[in-house]
Amino acid sequence: MKFIKKQGGNICFALIVIVLALMPLFLNAGLLSGSSTVLFLGKCIAFAIVAIGLDLIWGYTGILSLGHGLYFALGGYAMAMYLKLQETGGNITDFMHIGGLTELPLMWKPFQYFPVTLIMIILVPSLVAYIIGYFIFKNRVKGVYFSIISQALTWAAYSIFIALSTYTNGNVGITEIKTVFGSIKGSAHRTEMFKLFYVALFILVLIYALAKFLVNRKFGKLLIAIRDGENRTYFSGYQVSRYKTFIYVLSAAIAGIAGAIFVNFNGSITPSQMTISYSITMVIWVAVGGRGTIIGAVIGAFLINLCEYNLSSGSMVEIWQYIIGAVFCITIIFFKGGIVGIVKEQLPALFHKLKGKKSSAETVKEAQ
Amino acid sequence: MSNVKHTDDYVLEINNISVSFDGFYALTDVKTKVKRNTVHFFIGPNGAGKTTLLDIICAKTKPTAGTVIFHPKDKEPIRLTGMKEYKIVQEGVGRKFQVPSVFVNLTVTENMILSLKGHKGILDSIFRKPSEEDMTNIHDTLKRVGLEDRADARAGSLAHGQKQWLEIAMQLLQKPEIIMLDEPAAGMGKPETFKTGEILKEIKKECTIIVIEHDMDFVKQAADIVTVLHEGKMLMEGNINDVLADKTVQAVYLGRGGE
Repeated sequence: MKFIKKQGGNICFALIVIVLALMPLFLNAGLLSGSSTVLFLGKCIAFAIVAIGLDLIWGYTGILSLGHGLYFALGGYAMAMYLKLQETGGNITDFMHIGGLTELPLMWKPFQYFPVTLIMIILVPSLVAYIIGYFIFKNRVKGVYFSIISQALTWAAYSIFIALSTYTNGNVGITEIKTVFGSIKGSAHRTEMFKLFYVALFILVLIYALAKFLVNRKFGKLLIAIRDGENRTYFSGYQVSRYKTFIYVLSAAIAGIAGAIFVNFNGSITPSQMTISYSITMVIWVAVGGRGTIIGAVIGAFLINLCEYNLSSGSMVEIWQYIIGAVFCITIIFFKGGIVGIVKEQLPALFHKLKGKKSSAETVKEAQ
Repeated sequence: MSNVKHTDDYVLEINNISVSFDGFYALTDVKTKVKRNTVHFFIGPNGAGKTTLLDIICAKTKPTAGTVIFHPKDKEPIRLTGMKEYKIVQEGVGRKFQVPSVFVNLTVTENMILSLKGHKGILDSIFRKPSEEDMTNIHDTLKRVGLEDRADARAGSLAHGQKQWLEIAMQLLQKPEIIMLDEPAAGMGKPETFKTGEILKEIKKECTIIVIEHDMDFVKQAADIVTVLHEGKMLMEGNINDVLADKTVQAVYLGRGGE
């Protein structure tokens, strides 16, 4: 019992991974109707990864970033640019032609090479996050002010990406791309799709392990200390702003990786992945799953996206946004710990209460 | 104390401190010395300038005139006035603020680990585990404040008094030469206050304690030396019996029921 209590999160994660790993086998066995489910679960893996990053910065450190869509999209664009150049064979794209370019722009050049692209997927979001984080945290901007700034910066980046349509294809984004393993469309390319799926799953396991490792060390305790009493942490001799910048950059890098995975399954990236509402959706995943638990972020990302996938077609499509909004409000007001909190604290408490009532009723009976 | 200290073994010298806020003098010409390994109380009615004095010692407030000199053991004296706050902490002068501020979502032990001396960098916190010696040290310190049974409890679940003791323990772990406590017994019941007094008497063997307090029973129990402040001036200084017997002190402070 104690083992389950202590390892509950990890057991739950292992179960999720096993179920996911079985999905391609189900598809082969004909238990799933089409490959779209696997593709969708691939996207969910990407969402779970970005949610883990968000949990580190919000759930543990208490910094509510409403701009993680930016880092997600930066990683996504980096990957998409590489994939697009694979399509064109390193030549300039249609939208560049239309924009009047004759040569591949400088900012596209690094993305001709796969290893460089992999580095850029992590480097670009990290660098942007470092510059933003360094100045914001050094000046001790916190709480809601940080959230507003992160939102404004995301909006600014969104505008820039639309304005630079010659380089980014503006609103349309980068489309008509395959994956790092080539085409995954159709049953002829099942193997490539499965390969991609298992690579994504493996990265999810790695990120989860990294996050768990960090929060179980003194580093993780310190993040909680910063969340609960920033001034006290300063007085204990820690340079809080450095820690905050570090975790912010780390979560941005994780978001970038997630974005790169997402692009492979989605087959396109558009600035809409950079919008504020998209960033807030990510926050909702973490809140509903349970803040400050890592596993909660994974559960939230999968659960909400699966619900959306199954419910937002047909009659539910119009009210889906209202439902998710209501779920978010109810979570914040009544279930601060999200799903994990309900399972870990509220249910045992209820159980205890019922048991207590029962036993006290029994003692009364006995006394009579 | 068993061993006789030299009369000139002072750990802190407060030299003619005055401080004015826009012409209002919160402290005027305060001059005293704090003996090593004693519990030194500063008492006085509200607005007497007690907290301001602590602020000056730890450089939170700058004095208009005067200096504070710190005499570390076996080292050259250090002038605290004009130094940076965090440097003073590193030199070994710790301060506990009035409100208990432990990290409520961490366990007692985790709170202590965060307070260990040194290793405050990011890489250290990721890769370095507290040493065996650190852990024994933590255990011993918790024992001294009577929290060894609660080592794995969440700090948020501790009673108010226990939180204060935990914070004192966190201070002790930094091995300071001086600990400054701002009303450590505030909000405590009689038994808790008494235990706090006993803790102070115990830890003064290793460091010097400067306390601001209102509770006279607590002062009587733990004080070695008492300095009475009134309207920013030093009224008198001596052991608790002399202070209690003094007519002026009675008039300005004790007569009003100890506030």
